[in-house]
Amino acid sequence: MSVMANVFALIEEKLSEHNLSRVTKVVLKVGKLTCIEESSLRFAFTAFAHKTPVEEAELIINWVEPTAYCENCRREFSVTFRDQTCPNCSQFIRKKTAGEELQLTQIEGE
Amino acid sequence: MKEIDVMEDLLAENDQLAAENRQLFKEQNVFTVNLVGSPGCGKTSLLEKLLGELNQKLDLGVIEGDLYTDKDAARLEKIGSQIVQVNTGGGCHLEAEQIKKAAGKFTLAKLDLLIIENVGNLVCPASFDLGEEMKITVLSVPEGNDKPVKYPAMFAKSEVVILNKIDLLSKTNFSRDKFYQDLKAMNEEIKIFEVSCTTGHGISRVCEYLKGKTVSR
Repeated sequence: MSVMANVFALIEEKLSEHNLSRVTKVVLKVGKLTCIEESSLRFAFTAFAHKTPVEEAELIINWVEPTAYCENCRREFSVTFRDQTCPNCSQFIRKKTAGEELQLTQIEGE
Repeated sequence: MKEIDVMEDLLAENDQLAAENRQLFKEQNVFTVNLVGSPGCGKTSLLEKLLGELNQKLDLGVIEGDLYTDKDAARLEKIGSQIVQVNTGGGCHLEAEQIKKAAGKFTLAKLDLLIIENVGNLVCPASFDLGEEMKITVLSVPEGNDKPVKYPAMFAKSEVVILNKIDLLSKTNFSRDKFYQDLKAMNEEIKIFEVSCTTGHGISRVCEYLKGKTVSR
């Protein structure tokens, strides 16, 4: 809910900035390591959009696959929540290169 | 039709405030812990035990997050530490802004250790940095050993996991081996303490650990 509150605060800002009367599309980028759930996000979106210029907008969620970079092997590899070790040298990598994003990427309106 | 590139981080505001909190705690030399876990896992019971033992050795402060009540704060006040209550009014997690306000009610210069008890929830608090130095997750044996796998973000971001109600181990099918194995796979450096707030088992070890963290700064 509070993630969506931030989305709508940003949308409101952009609406007046660009003189838009309604929003047709909202694009989010969400990493798979964020623990954000799609159904909760969509529910919150509908709730916030009700009776606003965003009411009829389409919500697009682009999911980002998690990766990390192993300094030893100088290669990027896929990680999951349950396995964050380099497949080549088995070292545990704390720092991720992707998968923790939570971003409002784009809005479309008229 | 107009396309507008926004590219704004949704948690940017919280992250900014959390960074300010972290800086403030560092300047004032206060070690800060964000205590998380599901409702009923024993966060407040653990705090009662920790405060009871650490009170003579350290100057402690507690920020008590709760949906509506001050029941937990009232429990802790009896022990005699500085307690500040934050009611989220239904919000399922604490945010950095609330911590910033609550921190203003303490005499930070006099504190060694500040423990923030988050709202009982294993999901959302993982995404909201408060400016703490470490997250400690409390899990209780009856909740089951599968919780780290089911709520990985919280466990992966924690430095310490406290397995509470260890006195009930023999009465459940909790697999200790599986629990350790799953935790280490997602967070190799994680430290695990086994405690029971009922029998007092393991409490001193947690106190020693926190004391070590506080004085080594």
